[in-house]
Amino acid sequence: MSATTVEFEGIGKRFGSRAVLAQVSGVLRPGAVLVVSGPNGSGKSTLLNILAGVLRPSRGAVTYREGGGTVPRRLWFERIGVAAPDMAVYDELTAHENLAFLARLRGLRSTREQAAELLDSLGLPAREHDRAVGTYSSGMRQRVKIAQAVIHAPRVLMLDEPSSNLDAAGHEAVAALVREYRGRAAVVVATNDPREAAWGDARIELAL
Amino acid sequence: MRASSLLSEGLAVLRKEITSELRSRVALNAIVLFAVTTLVTVAYQIGPYRIHEDDRPHLLSALLWIILFFAAMSGLSRVFVKEEDARTGKTLRLAARPGAVLLGKLLFNLMLTLALETVVVPLYCGLMGLAVRSPGGLALLLLGGGVALSASATIVAAIIARASGSGTLFTILSVPLILPLLVILIQGTGAAVTADGLSPVLPALRAIVSLAGVTLVASFYLFPVVWND
Repeated sequence: MSATTVEFEGIGKRFGSRAVLAQVSGVLRPGAVLVVSGPNGSGKSTLLNILAGVLRPSRGAVTYREGGGTVPRRLWFERIGVAAPDMAVYDELTAHENLAFLARLRGLRSTREQAAELLDSLGLPAREHDRAVGTYSSGMRQRVKIAQAVIHAPRVLMLDEPSSNLDAAGHEAVAALVREYRGRAAVVVATNDPREAAWGDARIELAL
Repeated sequence: MRASSLLSEGLAVLRKEITSELRSRVALNAIVLFAVTTLVTVAYQIGPYRIHEDDRPHLLSALLWIILFFAAMSGLSRVFVKEEDARTGKTLRLAARPGAVLLGKLLFNLMLTLALETVVVPLYCGLMGLAVRSPGGLALLLLGGGVALSASATIVAAIIARASGSGTLFTILSVPLILPLLVILIQGTGAAVTADGLSPVLPALRAIVSLAGVTLVASFYLFPVVWND
C-alpha cells in the first residue's frame, strides 16, 4: 500500500463577503504530524474541511498524491479518517454498532474484537460498548468519534480539536494514537491546545 | 482498494436506518399519526354511503391517494434532514459513496411507503366500503406508486436537507414532481375499482413505471452533486 501525500497550494475560502482563509499552503507528509493553530475563527476547521474534500476552496488547489500519481477527488474519502467537532456518531446506535456500520460502509469486515480493542485503547470501558451512544457523556462520545476516524486504518488522519471534552487519560490516549499514526500515515491536527500543538513536526499558524 | 459493492454498502445504510428508526420511531410515529387521523376523519365524515354510487370510484381513489401521499410525506422527508440535524451527515459523507447513501435511504423510504400502503389500503377499503374489481391491478399500482413516490420524496429530501425551513421547502418542491404521479395513480386506481383484469390499469402502470424510472436515473446522477456540495 503506497503512502499518501496531501499538497495544498494558495488555499483561500470566502463565505459570501467574508474571507476565512487566504493563501494557505503546505504539505501533509506520510510519517509526519502537521499542526494547524490560530485563534477562534481563523479558519482551522475550514482548512481541514477543504483538505478532506468536504468543502471546495474559493481559491487554490488540494492534491492527493500516491506513488507519483494523483488521486481523484471522489476517492479521497477512502484514504482519510476525520474526527471534528461538527461531526457526530449515531445516538441511537451503540459504540459497537456505530463502528460496525462505518466499517461496513468502507468495505471492511471489522470484527467485534477489533472494535473492542480500539475502543479500549481510547479509554472507553468494555461495559459501555453496547450502550446507545445517546446515553454517553461528551467525553465518551469523543472517544467513539475518534475510533470511527481510525477504524479503517486511514492513510491520512485529520483531527480537529481531538482532546476537546476529554480528561487527562483521554488526552493521553489520543496522544498515543497520534504517535502510532505518525509512523504510518500523514496526520494533521487543528488545535489551540498547547499540549496538542507539541505533537507537531511542522506547524501552520493561521491569523484572523 | 474498496472491496465491497454499492449494493452491500447501500444495505448497510438501510440496516442502520431500520435500527435507528425502530429505536427512535420519529418517522413511524409521524406516518402512523397522520394516517390514522385522516383515515378516521374521512371514514367518520364521509363513510361508505355519503357519495353517489357513480362518483365513488374516482372520489374514493383520490381520497385514498391523498391520505397515502400526505402520510408518507410526513415521514419520508426526514430521511436526510435528521442526518444534518444530528450532525452525522459529515460522518456519512466521509465514509460512504453517495450512491450507497442514496440507495440505502431510498430502500428505507420504500419500505416505509409499502408498509403504510399495506396497513392503510385494506383499512380504507373496509371503512369506506370500497370494492376493488381488480385487486391485482391495484396491488401493482400500489407497488409502482410506492417506488415512484419514494424515489421522488428521497431526492427532494436530499435537496432540502441543508436548507433552513426544510419542511416547507419539501412540500413546495415535492408538489410539481409528485402531482403528475398522483393524477396517474388516482386514474389507475379508479380503473382498478371499476373494471376487471389488468388491462384497464396498464396505461397508468406504464406511465408510473416510466416516471419512477426517470426519477431513479435522474436521482443517481443528481445525488452526488446534491450530497457533496
